[in-house]
Amino acid sequence: MKAIRFFRLHLNVWSIMSIIFTLLIISPTLSIFIQIFEKPNENWYHIQEFLLKNYIQNTLVIVFFTGFFSVMIGVSLAWLVTAYRFPLRNFFKWGLILPLAIPPYIGAYTYHGILNYTGVVQATLRNQFDIKANHAYFDIMNIPGAIFIFTIFLYPYVYIITRAYLEQQSASLVENARLLGSGPVQLFFRVIMPISRTAIVGGVSLVVLEVLNDYGVVSYFGIQVFTTAIFQAWFGMSDVASAIKLAGILMAIVFAILFLEKVLRGRKKYSYSNAKVRPLEPISLSREKTAVLFVYTALIFTIGFVIPFVQLFQWMLLTFEKVASEEFLTLIFNSVYVSLIAASLIMVIALVIGNFTRLSDGAWAKAVSRITVLGYSIPGAVIAIGVLTFFLWIDRQLKGVYHAMGIEAPIILSLSIIMLLFAYVSRFLAIGFNPIDSGFDKIGRSFTEASRLLGIPLTRTFFKVDLPMIRGAVFGGFTLAFIEVMKELPLTLLLQPFNFYTLATKAFQYANDERIYEAALASMLIILISGVSIFIFHKVLEKENR
Amino acid sequence: MYVEINGLTFSYRNAKEKTIQDASIAIEKGEIITILGQSGSGKSTILRLIAGLEMPESGTIKINGQIMTDDATFVSPEKRGVGMVFQDYALFPHMTVAANIKFGLKKMNRYERDARLKEVIDLVGLTGFEKRYPYELSGGQQQRVALARAMAPNPSLIMFDEPFSNLDADLQIKIRDELRDILKKAGITSIFVTHDQEDARAIADRVIMMDHGHIMKTGTPDLILT
Amino acid sequence: MNNRKFKFLSILFTLAVMLLAACSGNNNSAEPETGTKADEETKDAGVVNLYTSRHYETDDALFEQFTEETGIKVNVVKGEEDELMERLTREGEATEADVFYTADAGRLHWAKEKGLLQSIESETLEANVPENYRDIDNEWFGLTKRARVIVYAKDRVTPEDLSTYEALTEEQWKGKVLIRSSENIYNQSLVASFISLNGADAAKEWAQGIVNNMARDPEGGDRDQAKAIAAGEGDVAVMNTYYFGQMLNSEDAEEVKVAEQLGVFFPNQETNGTHVNVSGAGVTKHAKNKENAIKFLEFLSSEEAQGQFSEANYEYPVNPNVEPSELLASWGDFKAQDLNMSELGKYNADALKLMNEVEWK
Repeated sequence: MKAIRFFRLHLNVWSIMSIIFTLLIISPTLSIFIQIFEKPNENWYHIQEFLLKNYIQNTLVIVFFTGFFSVMIGVSLAWLVTAYRFPLRNFFKWGLILPLAIPPYIGAYTYHGILNYTGVVQATLRNQFDIKANHAYFDIMNIPGAIFIFTIFLYPYVYIITRAYLEQQSASLVENARLLGSGPVQLFFRVIMPISRTAIVGGVSLVVLEVLNDYGVVSYFGIQVFTTAIFQAWFGMSDVASAIKLAGILMAIVFAILFLEKVLRGRKKYSYSNAKVRPLEPISLSREKTAVLFVYTALIFTIGFVIPFVQLFQWMLLTFEKVASEEFLTLIFNSVYVSLIAASLIMVIALVIGNFTRLSDGAWAKAVSRITVLGYSIPGAVIAIGVLTFFLWIDRQLKGVYHAMGIEAPIILSLSIIMLLFAYVSRFLAIGFNPIDSGFDKIGRSFTEASRLLGIPLTRTFFKVDLPMIRGAVFGGFTLAFIEVMKELPLTLLLQPFNFYTLATKAFQYANDERIYEAALASMLIILISGVSIFIFHKVLEKENR
Repeated sequence: MYVEINGLTFSYRNAKEKTIQDASIAIEKGEIITILGQSGSGKSTILRLIAGLEMPESGTIKINGQIMTDDATFVSPEKRGVGMVFQDYALFPHMTVAANIKFGLKKMNRYERDARLKEVIDLVGLTGFEKRYPYELSGGQQQRVALARAMAPNPSLIMFDEPFSNLDADLQIKIRDELRDILKKAGITSIFVTHDQEDARAIADRVIMMDHGHIMKTGTPDLILT
Repeated sequence: MNNRKFKFLSILFTLAVMLLAACSGNNNSAEPETGTKADEETKDAGVVNLYTSRHYETDDALFEQFTEETGIKVNVVKGEEDELMERLTREGEATEADVFYTADAGRLHWAKEKGLLQSIESETLEANVPENYRDIDNEWFGLTKRARVIVYAKDRVTPEDLSTYEALTEEQWKGKVLIRSSENIYNQSLVASFISLNGADAAKEWAQGIVNNMARDPEGGDRDQAKAIAAGEGDVAVMNTYYFGQMLNSEDAEEVKVAEQLGVFFPNQETNGTHVNVSGAGVTKHAKNKENAIKFLEFLSSEEAQGQFSEANYEYPVNPNVEPSELLASWGDFKAQDLNMSELGKYNADALKLMNEVEWK
C-alpha cells in the first residue's frame, strides 16, 4: 500500500525524464567504466612500469598549480571587479571572461609561435637590436609553460562563478569586516576567499577537469601526463582496450574526488529566500591604488586575450588570401548551428535533472547529479568511442524499422549529426549543470512550495516561478556550453558525419600539420563568435540585475 | 470536525529521533489554533505535513471530511486547497504585488481576478501598492502581501509559520490584532505556529503545546498559558 | 564614450555573423544530412566514401578533379588515423566507408591486421605503385613518400661530418641532436624500421644513444627542431623533408630565413638507405562501392595526381614515372631503405616500448 503512495508522490514527469536522460548519458560512459575490471594484457604491464609513475606525477603537478593559480587570479579579479571602482571596470566585467573563448591548444600554439626562434619577440631582438638571447629563456614547452597556458585560458571559470556569487553577497558582511579593521588584503584572504568556497570549488573543478582531459596542449609541448599514457596505448600500441581501461581509472578517480567534495560540503544550504539583500556597492580607492588595480586587471586581460588575439590576427592577414574561401561560411554556419542546438539540449536536460535533484532528498538523486560530470572527466576521444558503440548498437536494434521504412543502409543514426549532438550533450552537461545547480541552490524550495500551495502544479510552477528566478543561471550555463561546443575538437573529429566540418576541425587540419598561420583564420572566427556570445550574455545579465 | 489528524508520525531522512510522534489534532471550522513550542519541537513540520509538502510515515489527515493522507492516499499540495504564509514570506521576487496575489487565482476570469485582488488588498490594507515589487516593501507590508496571496484563492484552511518573527515588536502587536480581525471576519480556519506565548495568547482560540514531537497539552490560552 | 563605441561595433559584428549564417544556411541547410543522403545517391550518381587522416588542400583539389573526371562524388570524413580505424572496427560490416587513407604505413598495416581492408586486383595500381610500397596481398597501396632526413646547420656542420643515423649516437654529437618526442608516429616508424633491419637490440642501443646525445628534452613539432638549430640549441635535427619544404615556402620571412641556414642530408646512403614512410590507402573490407573505390585509388596513383602531390605538397611520388618537383629534386636523389612498409606496422608497438624503456620522452 505504502509503495503505491510512494510512487504516486515520486513518479512524475520530472523524475521519469531525469531517469531517462541519466540512463542515456551514462550508457556510453558506463561502457568505458566497466573496462576497469577487464583483465590487463602485456601492454598494461609496460604502461605501469614505464609510464604511469612519472606521468601521474606530472599530472598532479600541473593540476595542482593550474588549480592554485586559477583560483588566485579568478577570485582576486572577481573580487576587485565587484568591490572597487577603476577605469574600464564595466568592460572588464565581461572582458575578463574572454580568454575562455580561446581554446587552450590554440593558445599554446599561439604563445609558442610568439616566443619561438622565428616568433616576433626573438626576431625583433635579433633583427632590430642584434641581440641573440638564449633560446631557452623563451621556451614555454615545459611544465611551467603548460601551467601558464592552462591558467591563463581557464581561470575565467573561477572568475565567472565567483563573481556571480559575490554579487549576491550582502554588503553588510564586507562592511562589518571593514569596521572590524580588516585591511584589503586581510579582507580578501580572511573573508572573501572563505565565504566564496562553494563557488570557487565549482569553478576550479571545471578547470581541473579540463586540464585532466586535455591532450592538445600536452602533446604539443611534449609533456607526459596521464592522458599521454591513454593515447600511447591507443595510438602507439594500437591497444584500445588498455587505453579505455586507463580512461576508466581516470574517470573513477575524478568521480571519487567530486563525490567526496559533495559529501564534505554536506547539507549546508546557501539559499536566500527573502527579497533581495542590499548588494555590495563598489567603492573608490586612492589614485595610486586604483592605478595598481587597473594595471593588474589590464595585465591579465592582455596576456589572456589581447596578445594571442593580435598575434592570430596578424597571422590571419598573412595567410588570408590563401586560406579564405566561401567554405568558411559553411564552417561558421555548421559551428554556430551545432553549438546552438547542443547548448539548448544541454540546458533543457540540466534543468530537468537539476529540478528533480532539488525537489527530492534521496541520496540517489544526489548521485544522479554527480553523474552529469562523468563525461567531462576523460579525454573526448575516449567518450567518443563509447558514444559510437552505443549508437551502432541502437542502429542494430532499429534494423527492422529501417527495413520497414524501405531504407537499405544498415547505419543511419551513427552517420548522422544526431550522434555528434548526443556526444556534445553527454560531454558538456556538467558545464551547463553547474550554474543551474547553484542557481537552484540559491533560491531554495520555499518559492516552489508557496506556488504549489496556491494550487499550481509542479510543472506549471516550474515555468511560472522557478525558471524565471534562475534565468540568469540559465543564460550563463547556455553561454558556457555554447562556447565549449564551439571549441570542441576530439568528439567532432571522431564522430563527424561525411563532409561535415566545423571551425574547430578546420583550425585543427592546419595546426596538426604545423601550419599555425593557416590555422589563424578559423581560430579567429571561433574566438570572435565565442566573444560575441560572452558579450550578449553579459548584456542579458546586466538587464536582469537592473 | 473540519481538520482531523490521527496518529501522525514522521521523521526526516538521516534523523535518529522521530520529528513527530503519534500526533492527533482536531480543529473546528473557523477556529484559530496556535501550535506553541521551542524550535525543534516539530511544530513547523506539522504544518508541512498538513500542506502535503512532506509525507508521513503513518497516520491520517482529513480536511473537511476528505482524506488527504493515509497509508494508500497522498493528495499533492496543489490539490489540497490549503493556504500557507511562510516564515520568510516567499514572495516571488520577479512579480509585482498584484501578480503575486493573483498567482493562485487560476480558475477565475480576468474580471473576477481583478475584483478578488481588490477585495483582498483592501482587506490587508495595501491599496495603492499593487505595482510595487516585493523588495520595494517593508517587512510588515511584505507579510501582508503574503497573507493576501494565501487568502486570495479562498482556502479552506490557512496556516502561518512563525509569521511575526521577522517583524519588530510594535509592528508585531499591531499586525497580529489586525490579522485576527481579518481571519475572523472571513471565517477562515487557521493554524499558527509560534514560539512566542504572547502571540499565542493574543490570537488563538485554542493552543496546542508541543515538545520533542509530542503533543503535550491542548486547551484555551487562559487554561494553558500562565 | 569608448564603451559605447565598442558596444556599437560588437552589435554590428553580431549582425554580420548572423547574416552570414543565414546566407550560408540557405545554401547549405541540407549539409548535415549529407551522410545519410550519401547512400541514397549510391544508386544513381555513384559515390565513394572516404575516411582520411590527411588534411591537405592538395587532396581536396584532387578529390574534386576525380569527381569532375568520373562523376563519382567523394564524401569525406577527416579525422585522426587511429580514431578512424577504431570507428571502422566498431562499425564492422555496417560501415559506409569505402576507402581508408592515411599518412603512415604502420597504420595501414594495422588496418590490414585488424581485417579492415580487402585485397583488390588492379593492373593499373600494380603498375603505378612499386612492390615495396604496397601490401604483399594488395590490401593497401602507398601513394606518396616522405623521407626522414638529417637537417644540419650549414655554418657549423659540413655534409662530410654526417654519414648515418647510427653515427648521430657518437660522442661528437653529444648535446647536439634535436628530435621530437616518442609520441610522434614518424619517430616510431623510424625506430620500427631499425628493429626490422638491425634487430631489436641494435635499435634500442641506437635509441639510447640518441637520448644520451639530445640537445634538450624533446618538444614541439618537426619545424621546431629546425628552429632550434637556427637558435643554436643543437647542430643537427632529424626531421621530415615535407616540413622542411613547408618552411622554405612559408609566408613568414623569418621561417624562410631559418630554413635557408639549414642543409638536407640523406643518411645511410652507403649502408641500408634513408628511412621513408608512405601515405597510402586501401579499400575497406565491407566497402559498398568497391568499384568506385578502386577507380579512386587508381586515380590517385596516376601520373597526373602524383605530380600534384609532389608539386603542391612537398611529397615524393611513388609512381616511378613521375619526377619529384624541382625543390625536392634539388636535394638530390637518394637511396631509400629496402624494406616492405608492412614492417613498420609490425614493429610499431615494440618501437614505442623500447623508446619508453630508454626514457625517450
